[in-house]
Amino acid sequence: MAVNWLRNLASRRSVPVFPVLGVQGDKALRHLTLSPDIELVDSPRHASVLLVAGEIPADRFEPLRRVHDQLPSPFTTLWFRCEPWPHLESVIRVDDLDVLPAALVTAYRELMKGRRESSPRILPDKPPNPWEGEGDFGQGGEGMMGGVPYGRPMAMNMEDDIRDGLTLDSLTFRLGPFFFAFPPGMAAEITLQGDLVQTWKTQLVAYPQSLDPVFFTARERPVPIAELELARARHHLHRLYRGLHLAGLESASLSALRLAQNLSTTSTLDGLHRYLSRSGFFRLAAIKGGVLGPEQARRIGGPAARAAGLDEDLRSDDAGYRRLGFSPVSQAGGDTGARWRQVLAEIDQSLQLARQAERDDMTTSEVDRIETPRGPWLEKRPEDASALLDEILPGQEWGDALATIASLDVAAVAEASLDTQTASEPRITNTLDSEGGRT
Amino acid sequence: MALTTLFVILISSLGAGILMQWLPMRHQPRPAWSQRAPFLGGGTPDSHAWSRYHIRYYPMTLLLIAFEMEMMFMYPWAVVFVEKGMKAMMEMGMFLAILSVGIVYAWREGVFKWQ
Repeated sequence: MAVNWLRNLASRRSVPVFPVLGVQGDKALRHLTLSPDIELVDSPRHASVLLVAGEIPADRFEPLRRVHDQLPSPFTTLWFRCEPWPHLESVIRVDDLDVLPAALVTAYRELMKGRRESSPRILPDKPPNPWEGEGDFGQGGEGMMGGVPYGRPMAMNMEDDIRDGLTLDSLTFRLGPFFFAFPPGMAAEITLQGDLVQTWKTQLVAYPQSLDPVFFTARERPVPIAELELARARHHLHRLYRGLHLAGLESASLSALRLAQNLSTTSTLDGLHRYLSRSGFFRLAAIKGGVLGPEQARRIGGPAARAAGLDEDLRSDDAGYRRLGFSPVSQAGGDTGARWRQVLAEIDQSLQLARQAERDDMTTSEVDRIETPRGPWLEKRPEDASALLDEILPGQEWGDALATIASLDVAAVAEASLDTQTASEPRITNTLDSEGGRT
Repeated sequence: MALTTLFVILISSLGAGILMQWLPMRHQPRPAWSQRAPFLGGGTPDSHAWSRYHIRYYPMTLLLIAFEMEMMFMYPWAVVFVEKGMKAMMEMGMFLAILSVGIVYAWREGVFKWQ
């Protein structure tokens, strides 16, 4: 009786969902963030529903199995635009973004009321390394730190410290590809010493991000500058949303996302800018690291390069933009804070350009030299720049490292935008204005 | 009597607490091994996370204990000093000498440098 009452009570709360992002699953993530009934959580431990959003490449199946099993019982899974594994029984697949929140709520309510069975665990229920039963504490060796408890060695100070000479135990682990603070799909092997990143090796690069279709159209024929600039601003706002979420400024991140959703030439950034200054975002210690040198900045290109003082922007070569009096904005610092200031400045500039271009009805003139929000697109699309992380992250503290990753748009640009790839599926662009790309 | 009442209240509240936790959990199996693995976004660890790391407030703690103990001991000592005179003075000198080793160590560690 009491349990039934508790179950009813539990089923009425917002649905705790852990999203596992597949290729182009970020769009579903943004849609759910703004759904009032859904609470997206950053760890499977807090979730009751596992959402697999987007196609998961085969090399990420093993991590997905591990994450799937880490949800506390009872839990259920829902696959969005992804074929569920055949050995899983009674799994829901949803393809329409509009019905996704309702499907998640229904699945959760049924689960809580006992009308749906909890998903079975996929991995075998046995210790990853069996108990050795040797040593004073069963650690399988001599002394307190000598053994390998559960067959897994203790962390040891094997490497010299790179900060202040105080050698600490180094901890090596692989993080990702379903870690919320990484770009979707990215995985890395990391060695930490205390809170200091000692080595960083990117093992799986982030999924290529889809840009707004207008950037692909702009490669074929002149397009209205207003449309192009709004798409650019939206892309940056989506990135800002992820950065602010990481910084713990939840309401600011949501207002960035809402602004991106309702973006028009009359939108302004003033409110968000004021909020960020007041909330102390620009005074955070974590955004003072991640300085890019000129050579590194050139390799990633785009806003990150301009934040490091490089004045390179292909829009300067475009006659349409020149008539609007365009000149690239740039920052001097090249650190994480400078990159976020640059992103805000570019959103502001894009909105201004869009307003002017709409009034004067301007179009682009160049088709083979496009400045995408990710970087310049000359002969080739902007490529993956994860190799940069391996260079700049060692030596940073963990918080600074995550802030640096969030501020760098490392994912490559996908071959075609989402709309052209899934033309057979129903169009869903009215729920969120457009693809935007990786957030 | 009052003690017995208190004892009964303690036992019954503890019993109720344990019962409330045990009742819903009695048919629940232990979490599976795969559920108990550390969450690394799908990744795996190489070693246990039981590693020695530097608590950065440690010099402050050291300093607090060094000065705090000094002061704590000095209050009762001040009372005894009137009676015992020079003997108490020497005892306190020895105590301070030992304690100041900690302060010298903290100095060497750079505690007094403002960072």
